[in-house]
Amino acid sequence: MASADSETRPQEAIPQAVKIIIAGGFGAGKTTLVASVSEITPLSTEEVMTEASYGVDDIGGVEHKTTTTVALDFGRITINHDIVLYLFGTPGQNRFWFMWDELAEGALGAVVLADTRRLDTCFHAVDFFERRGVPFVVAVNRFEGSTVYREEEVREALDVSAEVPIVLADARERESCKEVLVELVTHVIRGRDPVMSG
Amino acid sequence: MRTDGVHGHEAAADGPPEETLRDPVPNTRRHDGEPGEERFLRPFAVTAGDPGAHAVLGPEHAGVDMLSLVVAARVPGRHEWLRPEREAILDHALRARTVVELAAEVGLPVGQVRGIVAAMIADGSLQRCGPSRPLGRQDILHAVLAGLCSL
Ligand SMILES: Nc1nc2c(ncn2[C@@H]2O[C@H](COP(=O)(O)OP(=O)(O)OP(=O)(O)O)[C@@H](O)[C@H]2O)c(=O)[nH]1
Ligand SMILES: [Mg+2]
Repeated sequence: MASADSETRPQEAIPQAVKIIIAGGFGAGKTTLVASVSEITPLSTEEVMTEASYGVDDIGGVEHKTTTTVALDFGRITINHDIVLYLFGTPGQNRFWFMWDELAEGALGAVVLADTRRLDTCFHAVDFFERRGVPFVVAVNRFEGSTVYREEEVREALDVSAEVPIVLADARERESCKEVLVELVTHVIRGRDPVMSG
Repeated sequence: MRTDGVHGHEAAADGPPEETLRDPVPNTRRHDGEPGEERFLRPFAVTAGDPGAHAVLGPEHAGVDMLSLVVAARVPGRHEWLRPEREAILDHALRARTVVELAAEVGLPVGQVRGIVAAMIADGSLQRCGPSRPLGRQDILHAVLAGLCSL
């Protein structure tokens, strides 16, 4: 096997895989955003879990374990020969936190999609990334007929600090999604600047 | 990506090397479609080799995550019919793939694929492959920014 080693090793360069998380409440446009910027049709995989083993409190009293699957979709952007960026849409349901932990591990940063019809549905995501110290931006995804909020109103409602960028977005528009991601990465680079206080 | 070395390995792997997959009956390596035999084998083959669907974040998978890169170190062997999910993973890993891509391509939950991949790395069927040119965090961020801007 040792002799075949050099032959079986792929000739092509192997890029590093990095990720950005797209979070937000149920139906906030996560999958739409991933699809808008991904170079592939978003792929979907699922996770299977035994509910009772995750301390789910809203099914208290159940003695049997039930199995649930949760869809996880992701897209891909080839940055250059060395880097491939994966975008992961989080499962919308809040109880799948364990999955967020793994998703957040090593992520470059996160986009929290705020749905203006139900701003409160992204509170959990904001909390989560703040606690985990994952840098994030809030992208306000406007749905037709919903209230038009100003940035300060959103900032106040979500109670995020002044450094966290809040941008308007339309998850269906590629350019808009690009801008959101550029804003995020710029924010992450800025935050890692050694001159920052703290 | 077939090489003589790989074929040699395949031939040597007539019975899987260090697996729990000991033949329960002597003649079961060939699938001759006897219903009774199949009933006997299937639960064994599917559950014995591969960590179950519930093995989501077990410590035995430490080090293998969704974005771990792996590549096939051999072609599927004859015994693989017992474990079609392994065959599918080998087929899709001819080029370096991330665990999550493999999961999507073979249509299995990512936690399960992660477990199977960890086992396959351990038995030499898959090889981990690091990036060819590892970059620091800051270099990655600047490259990603430039890449996104030029999309
Ligand atoms: N008006 C408007 N509609 C949008 C926008 N983004 C998504 N939608 C629509 O909203 C619906 C839900 O979008 P998804 O992308 O599936 O939302 P999601 O966050 O992935 O949903 P879950 O995975 O179920 O939590 C779809 O019908 C989209 O077409 C947007 O920016 N503006
Ligand atoms: Mg979705």
